[in-house]
Amino acid sequence: MTELSDERPSQAITVLLVEDDAPTSWRLQDALAKAGFQVTAAATLAEARACLTESGPKVLLTDLQLPDGHGVELIRETRRRFPATEIMVISILGDEESVISAITVGATGYLLKDAFPTDIAATVHELVAGHSPISASIARFIVRRTQNHPEPAPGPPLDTVRLTPREIDILWGIAKGFSYAEIAGHLGLSRQTVPGHIKNIYRKLEVHTRGEAVFEALQQGLIRL
Amino acid sequence: MAAKPALPGRQRRRLRASRLAQYALVQVLIAIACVFVLHQSLPQPPAGYLVNAFNTKEGGTERGVTLPHYTSSRFSMNDPPLYSGHFVWPSSEAQRAWSVYLPRFNNGVEVAVNGVVILDSRRDPAANRPDRNAPEIAVIPASLLHEGENDLAVRLFVWGPLTGFLDSIYAGPDPVLRPYYEQRTLVFVTLPVVFSAWQAILAVILTIMWAVRRHEPAYGLLAAAMTLGVAQAFLPTAADQSQYSRLNAILITSAPLESGFVLTFATLFLGGRWPRFGALIFAPGVLLVAVGLFGDQALISEFFLFVGVPIIGLYLVLLALIVARSVLKRHDVASFVLGCAVTIVLTCWIRDMLSVLQIAPDGRIFVARLSYSALLVAIGAGLTWRFARALNQVDGFAGRLVTQVRQAEDKLKASFAREEERARAAALALERTRLMRDLHDGLGGQLVSIVALSERGEAGAPIGEAARAALKDLRLVIDSMDDIGGDLMLALGSWRERATAQLRPHDIALDWRAVSPQGLPVYPELRPWHVIQIVRLLDEALTNAVKHARARRIMVTIETLTDASGAYGRISVEDDGTGFALTPDGAAAAAGQKAARGLRNMRSRAARCGAALDLVSTAGGTRVRLTLPRRFPDSDAAGA
Repeated sequence: MTELSDERPSQAITVLLVEDDAPTSWRLQDALAKAGFQVTAAATLAEARACLTESGPKVLLTDLQLPDGHGVELIRETRRRFPATEIMVISILGDEESVISAITVGATGYLLKDAFPTDIAATVHELVAGHSPISASIARFIVRRTQNHPEPAPGPPLDTVRLTPREIDILWGIAKGFSYAEIAGHLGLSRQTVPGHIKNIYRKLEVHTRGEAVFEALQQGLIRL
Repeated sequence: MAAKPALPGRQRRRLRASRLAQYALVQVLIAIACVFVLHQSLPQPPAGYLVNAFNTKEGGTERGVTLPHYTSSRFSMNDPPLYSGHFVWPSSEAQRAWSVYLPRFNNGVEVAVNGVVILDSRRDPAANRPDRNAPEIAVIPASLLHEGENDLAVRLFVWGPLTGFLDSIYAGPDPVLRPYYEQRTLVFVTLPVVFSAWQAILAVILTIMWAVRRHEPAYGLLAAAMTLGVAQAFLPTAADQSQYSRLNAILITSAPLESGFVLTFATLFLGGRWPRFGALIFAPGVLLVAVGLFGDQALISEFFLFVGVPIIGLYLVLLALIVARSVLKRHDVASFVLGCAVTIVLTCWIRDMLSVLQIAPDGRIFVARLSYSALLVAIGAGLTWRFARALNQVDGFAGRLVTQVRQAEDKLKASFAREEERARAAALALERTRLMRDLHDGLGGQLVSIVALSERGEAGAPIGEAARAALKDLRLVIDSMDDIGGDLMLALGSWRERATAQLRPHDIALDWRAVSPQGLPVYPELRPWHVIQIVRLLDEALTNAVKHARARRIMVTIETLTDASGAYGRISVEDDGTGFALTPDGAAAAAGQKAARGLRNMRSRAARCGAALDLVSTAGGTRVRLTLPRRFPDSDAAGA
């Protein structure tokens, strides 16, 4: 995989990296730049917004805890303005608290801050190729939410009603540590279709609240207050 | 009553018809048995003492008659027919008393022997009731008798509503005649009193029942019927104009009212609805009472005979129909017994009518009133049966209630335990979220910075490694706190990810093989601390393979095994390394020492979870095999 990322021509791929911790930011920049990505770094929400004025990057990598706000806002904005941008959240622990809240506003996966440089580059390449990575613990969190409990479980709210039984089966497989090939084998799918299913799962978990719809309508001048 | 299986219409109709036929057949048999019993004539004294040749003087004409004899008039209080006859008394009979025995007469008699009055039945209230069949006997004072023929004169008083009647008279030794008299008294006087007492008890019971259960008017109606019946039985006939004669007359003519009450009772008791013109049932009874209030004696009698008695018969027929319907609908014992009783009464009523109309004269013995006691017995039995059944139902209900309460209690306990478990899990999840946030904000970020900084200088590599290991452990701790619902595979899924990430820089391949699709059995008792022990144990095995055995390939096998006592899981970690037992040089010995410590750790972790650790290490590789228990221990056996 290391060779793969090095050989791939990735000059055209622009990455906006939003990370306030300087050493971490350098580290990620190094890893991505070495792999040939065109990286723009921002340390605050304001800087990131400034970078987003003209055109959207191909990939947005953002931390959630930023000095002047929350990364979720940035993800939501980017998702609305530049639907083609692939968004990933940078997480320290890969915990559902941060990752799920990012997924519900439009992120498709996460990157661990201490991941090895080669893994970082590989993950971003796969994301650009249309493969949304998903971890066992995140899959576990989602499928446990699909099971009916009388009281809402702790953690961020998540609406799983739109997931199909097949998608839930795939999530179970991932949660139990099976590879895509194994899941495809168990479910009688082609191995290539599994990443597409995962992308669909991410899209279905995205929240389109009524408030957001109103906000969008206002933006587009459909409603006048 | 148990739900009856639904039958097709035709079959149901056929079943109904056959039930009706059966019931009707039983009733016909009962009626035949009744007729047979009634046809048995009562025992008569020896014919030698019979006196039945009389001269009768009625309305100025005199003629010879043979008893039994029916008079033509219905009322003869002022000029009663006089029957004169003779009987022979031999002086050899002086040793024993002689009596005159009159088995049956209507309505009153005055008996004179040799011109001296020895008996006036009008003084005997029981004898004054035309429906009571009361006999009379009188001892003839010995001084009145003389050798040979003695005169016997009977004056027959008739006050309606029927014509007068005088049955055969017997004059003979008292010891011979009296048993016959006693027999008749028992049947026609004492027995009705007994039944009337029974009726009085029923009246009291039913009144109490009605008073306590006001929503069941059936009992009130029956209580009214019983009370009327008792009043009728114990109040004397208004033969003479006493102060309360009018009241007496009303009460005695209240039989239609009584039968009306019984009819309405049966309608309600047997589950029928109150008929639309139900009040009309009481109309004849009320009319008779009105006649009793304002009419004179003769009118009352006429009305009673020509309106009251047919009404009673009509109500009996209606009663029979209602009960028959109930028997068909419910086929219960109470309805059936009541139905049989009604048939008996009805048969007796018809027989009495035939007797009154002199179609089938039978010595003018009236049995309808007596047979009414059959109905009373049936009602009493029916009520008792129903009461007993209600008690049984209450018992059953109480039993069911106890069972249900116990079940509800168990359910509640289970649900409480579940609730507690859920609350515990929720508290744990909340705590985990809080811990995660804290670690995320503090320690985690700092560790990431250390990793980043260490990578910038060559000397920092071990620091970076340590920081990365710390981060990995942090993730493990948080991960293991998650409620995985006893499915260890969910924890292993995360472990596989971490292991893959850990092995990638070392260029070691991780083969992952779940032998059965579900991997491991579900352990409902699995707790976070079990998970962390198992994952750390597996981490230890992995680290040994990477650091000390210099393996190129690691294979993890997950399987579910089954033996006689159930299913259990087994996790194996195998590598193709050098094995740690065969370390020749000193450097490797240190590594061996380290490995030995790691091995001790693994054993202690396995023991805490009740799992068996099996370790085989050769020059060709090492295999760690962790056999999970069937049930994870509740408490940490080896101590924290």
